[in-house]
Amino acid sequence: MIRLSAVSRRISFKWGARGLASAVGNLPNSKSPIVSKLNFFNAVQNDSGLIPTFRVLDGTGKLIDGAELPEIDEKLAHRMYENMQLLPTLDNILYNVQRQGKISFYMTSHGEEATIIGSAAALALDDEVLGQYREMGVLLWRGFGVDNVMAQCFGNEEDTSGKGRQMPVHFGSPKHHFHTISSPLATQIPQAAGVGYSLRRSPNRRGRSIAACYFGEGAASEGDFHAGLLLASTIPSPTLYIARNNGFAISTPSSEQFYGDGIASRGPGYGIDTVRVDGNDVLAVLAAVREGRRSVGHHSTSDDSFAYRARAEVEDRKRIDNPIVRFRLFMESQGWWNAEAEEELKTRLKAEVMASFKRAESIKRCELGELFTDVYGGEEPWNIKEQREELIGLLKKYGEVWEPWRTELAKFKNSGQDLLKP
Amino acid sequence: MGLAEEFGKERVFNTPLTEQGIAGFGIGLALMGHTAIAEIQFADYIFPAFDQIVNEAAKIRYRSGGQYNVGGLTIRTPTMSVGHGGLYHSQSPEGFFMGASGLKIVIPRSPIQAKGLLLGSIRDPNPVIFMEPKILYRSAVEQVPVDDYELPLGKAEVLVPGSDLTLLTWGTPVYHCEAALHMLASPSPSLESLIPTSLRSAKIELIDLRSILPWDVEAVTESVKRTGRLVIVHEAGMTAGVGAEISAEVQKRCFLKLNAPVKRVTGWE
Repeated sequence: MIRLSAVSRRISFKWGARGLASAVGNLPNSKSPIVSKLNFFNAVQNDSGLIPTFRVLDGTGKLIDGAELPEIDEKLAHRMYENMQLLPTLDNILYNVQRQGKISFYMTSHGEEATIIGSAAALALDDEVLGQYREMGVLLWRGFGVDNVMAQCFGNEEDTSGKGRQMPVHFGSPKHHFHTISSPLATQIPQAAGVGYSLRRSPNRRGRSIAACYFGEGAASEGDFHAGLLLASTIPSPTLYIARNNGFAISTPSSEQFYGDGIASRGPGYGIDTVRVDGNDVLAVLAAVREGRRSVGHHSTSDDSFAYRARAEVEDRKRIDNPIVRFRLFMESQGWWNAEAEEELKTRLKAEVMASFKRAESIKRCELGELFTDVYGGEEPWNIKEQREELIGLLKKYGEVWEPWRTELAKFKNSGQDLLKP
Repeated sequence: MGLAEEFGKERVFNTPLTEQGIAGFGIGLALMGHTAIAEIQFADYIFPAFDQIVNEAAKIRYRSGGQYNVGGLTIRTPTMSVGHGGLYHSQSPEGFFMGASGLKIVIPRSPIQAKGLLLGSIRDPNPVIFMEPKILYRSAVEQVPVDDYELPLGKAEVLVPGSDLTLLTWGTPVYHCEAALHMLASPSPSLESLIPTSLRSAKIELIDLRSILPWDVEAVTESVKRTGRLVIVHEAGMTAGVGAEISAEVQKRCFLKLNAPVKRVTGWE
């Protein structure tokens, strides 16, 4: 015992001489303070409470205590509201169309209208958007048009997103700076970091444009979420990550998806500025995304190796209140809306969508030959050439005599003749 | 190598240790038309990036109707055995990617080939996986021209012309095949009794495939139709390796000209 304390005294004397004896100060080369009490932590907030949620409007459309109204005029409010209403109008029709078997698949935007339109309105029209599958609202905001939506869902020859190759709602449009959706979840997250970095590397977009990446709370369980945020924060990239948390990943509730304080608690783990927002409050989303965009775009011009990227987690509570109603009540309180305007809008939108649907239903698919194009750029490899020839041979043999094939061919523009008589 | 000093850290940089992140980031850059050259430290570790490579990079052009593409992406990775690498620093995973239509796969055998094929890969309008046999980094030495030159993708090269048998391989085994040809022609005294004299004058045609996807089916079938025999050599294991695909295609096209079944000499499993 005596020997031990003698040793420790000797050692602490030596350490004292080197300034390591005290319990205060930091780990070498670090801002991490030294403490003498063993303490496990499990919360991002200092008071160990949950991360708070930012909100501007209450459920009746009134500003909550202390809230500031984001910059918005009647014109912008109308445009936002109209797009928010267009989503359920499209959803109601296309959801039923899918149930009837006329299209194979559909993802509604139910409950997420404020999240999507609020964020779309806050972004610049040429900010690069990488979505998951519930971001049709961003495309509508940017002028993609209902006809293009229908064309993609029906996979007809007007489908500019993908020539009818992909399942419904897999939109894409370079013109609208909306990257083509793919089915595997979360793959867009690290890609968004690379897209953001490319903006930094482009003189005419540096400091002006950002990449905005959307994903759901379920997709945030994927490894790509971790990889993507890591890359975006360390490289670093002017990328804004928007997590839509609606409490469900298809049929898996959030309670079975994660154990921590939502997705927001993960942001600080990557050194990323984070905010949690009430996703049913379109003005809160608008304000938060505007600020996130400003912060992210600003940092892209600096050469900090340790810079911050913003991330917003948007919580939906679709069962509790309706985002569209909430915003409508706000507009009415400003004198910007009334029952007549509501009636007129709903009638107009429904007529527009129905007309577009009826038209899209009867349009044929792309020419059959498009099955083999766009696999490679440049010279077409021999295997693609030969496989096309194989189909041509089969068509020549069975195309006219075998009734199921004849029916199927008729669905394509020119009924396969582009292959048979090039 | 001094690349970061010469070109700056915005263009040449380290990344966190996440292959799926590296691949995804490279895809993002390429989506915007930039050139991205991503390195996966060992081909054995490319599997976390498999989803990004196969489901995304390979399919972006097709799924977007040609509106988007990631032709600007090249993934470089050291491959094949080095002697002391064990299970996880020795693999040849090119076979796993051969089925991902939309990708290209290139494997050089030497410095001169590597420079030309790498420039060709970077400039090719498709995503390319460029697999560099790591054991050759220090052992293969050549006078590499300093000017700009490209070698074509999708084209094999005949290294030794022959008429009796076609020997097809790529990467490190090219050198083992060359050595085997010498041993066959003039075996050492200890092996003499095992190699019939009649075989020693065989003229073997040695072909370096160079590109695995798309592969030069024309060159290979032209050769096999002349020689009537094919031996494929690759380091990767037998089952469902690249040799299996080539064998199937060659037996289809050269069936009546073959004097023997196609033989595969591969890594054991």
